[in-house]
Amino acid sequence: MADSRRILIGATAEERARLEALVAQHGSPLLLFDPSTLRQQYQALKKALPGIDLYYAVKAHPNERIIRELDALDAGFDVASAGEMDMLMDLKISGRRTIHTHPIKKDQEIRDALRFGATTFVVDSIDELKKLTPYRARVGILLRISFRSTQAVVDLSRKFGCESDDAPAIIHAATALGLHIKGLSFHVGSQCSNADKHVEAIRHCHKIMLQLNSSGCTPMSCLDIGGGFPADYALEGFDIGLFCAPIRKALAELPNDWHILAEPGRFLIAPAVTSVTTVTGKSMRHGIRWYYLDDGVYGSFSGQIFDHAQYPLQILREGTCQPSILAGPTCDSIDIVAEGIDLPELETGDLVIGHQMGAYTAATKTRFNSLPDARFICLE
Amino acid sequence: MKHFKETLYDSICQEFRIDKLYFEHKTDFQHLMIFHNAQLGRVMTLDGVVQTTEADEFVYHEMMAHVPMFAHGRARRVLIVGGGDGGMLREVLKHPVEHVTQVEIDQAVVDMAIAYLPNHSAGSYDDPRLNLVIADGMDFVRESGEQFDIIISDSTDPIGPGEILFTETFYAAAKRCLNEGGIMATQNGVPFFQPDELRTTWQRMAPHFEDMGFYCAPVPTYYGGFMAFAWGTDIPSLRNIAPQILQERFADSGIRTRYYNPAIHSAAFALPQYMIDALNEAS
Repeated sequence: MADSRRILIGATAEERARLEALVAQHGSPLLLFDPSTLRQQYQALKKALPGIDLYYAVKAHPNERIIRELDALDAGFDVASAGEMDMLMDLKISGRRTIHTHPIKKDQEIRDALRFGATTFVVDSIDELKKLTPYRARVGILLRISFRSTQAVVDLSRKFGCESDDAPAIIHAATALGLHIKGLSFHVGSQCSNADKHVEAIRHCHKIMLQLNSSGCTPMSCLDIGGGFPADYALEGFDIGLFCAPIRKALAELPNDWHILAEPGRFLIAPAVTSVTTVTGKSMRHGIRWYYLDDGVYGSFSGQIFDHAQYPLQILREGTCQPSILAGPTCDSIDIVAEGIDLPELETGDLVIGHQMGAYTAATKTRFNSLPDARFICLE
Repeated sequence: MKHFKETLYDSICQEFRIDKLYFEHKTDFQHLMIFHNAQLGRVMTLDGVVQTTEADEFVYHEMMAHVPMFAHGRARRVLIVGGGDGGMLREVLKHPVEHVTQVEIDQAVVDMAIAYLPNHSAGSYDDPRLNLVIADGMDFVRESGEQFDIIISDSTDPIGPGEILFTETFYAAAKRCLNEGGIMATQNGVPFFQPDELRTTWQRMAPHFEDMGFYCAPVPTYYGGFMAFAWGTDIPSLRNIAPQILQERFADSGIRTRYYNPAIHSAAFALPQYMIDALNEAS
């Protein structure tokens, strides 16, 4: 399989010494978390989307140390399960700072969320609305609209979201049930290459909300623009301010008393985590060099399967490049981290570094072959 | 955290300054806090919702204890379900009762209340008339063969650990533990914001009593005006005890109160029209 990912060859002596020292101290494989990068990303997105409340998508990397850092930044949290809420509760984060965004819920999930203190829920059908009827005095509801994007790497509008044409009927049904839909939400998909779809969705939601607000419905005043803010997997120096400029323009047209929120996950955490793996063995097959790593697609690189991501890799030594394959540690043949790439000849014990590995990596790891998890190390 | 924001409703919330945090405990999806607030004294919250405060607990506890106790007039045996903070026990024990059974699901709540909310129980957990049972209130009323003159369900809200205490099964089982002429009283939320709870309780509890209804009192930190208390008995006249009889019973008791008095007792059964309308919708 051809692999178009970015490969960095070589490293400064200082960089190499630092990584080797970390492995000597903590072992391998590792996931290195740099809180200062997370803070920079958060501030950059805040600046790119002024006045918008950011709710970190906990699913991207449900790690306590990461949550604590975002808590200190006064971020909100987007949760989708009782387990995620439990983690926040352990950290004594109030449910008031969270939104529950899973469009499909069991009754127990709704009750757990209310006990936790999350009162904002997302629905995308009349069936789902009805589940909230017993709690109608307490909840605020967002109706999720589907806007499919051909540009997104992961399409999140196929499985969830109602057609925008169906929105008025659902909102009228809600009024009849005594439920208040406080606004709309959408998710144009993950890792968008530009903000065109966001802009289209904002304009469309704006129109729907104005129409319904003028038709005598209880006013809607909340718009959740979801996520989709990309990670810089190509290491090209992505500019979030520039990416969000059309979004800012579209939002500026909205009434200024509306409450706008977003659910970033990937953009915030991807660059703040770096993986470190070690070559545990090598062989030559059919003229191609195979290197076996101590982490793979059943572990930190699981996002290559579930999230369709290709993380930039870095080899610390330089040399003549030859066709190579990096394989994971499990016995399964699907466990290939990268192939169709050219690398200098590696030796057992060499480190292979994965960049932009904070989002949907450890989150989806498995325990296949009973291999241990990469150890999570905070650099502060 | 320097402020506590209640998480009961999405579109509104009351906020309390935390002047001193005394206690915070998180177990199995339950989050309990006791803190001091300059205006309210000690405040206890559970899962983001105010349960009781030193400043206004007297309204709740006096009204839930003294209304059924003085209406009954000769209650000897009382059952309190819940009420771990001890405030209800304190008020009930002011009457010349022979015996009180309190069924609390969690010993830790009692211990915590004695340590951090001492003015609520005010020593009443040491009273020899008390039998404290650590058990599920539902299991107790279903399995215990004991009979009581008054049953008070001092529960948490229907979403949470007190859920079972709002079911028809509980009302039916509790009724079987009542002596002839007994009265059951339960906390039933703030109908201005939670009219559904009023309707639901009416539908589930009324079939088991000759006379079932509500009375109310405003507890300031239960945001939303009047709190409703459900009232169930087989003797309809108990909700209309003559004022002079209440006056005599109250005077004879020597009990000093801050909210309850015989006039308030009688008036509490007059419901605002929005509650009557909500109940009419249910029937």
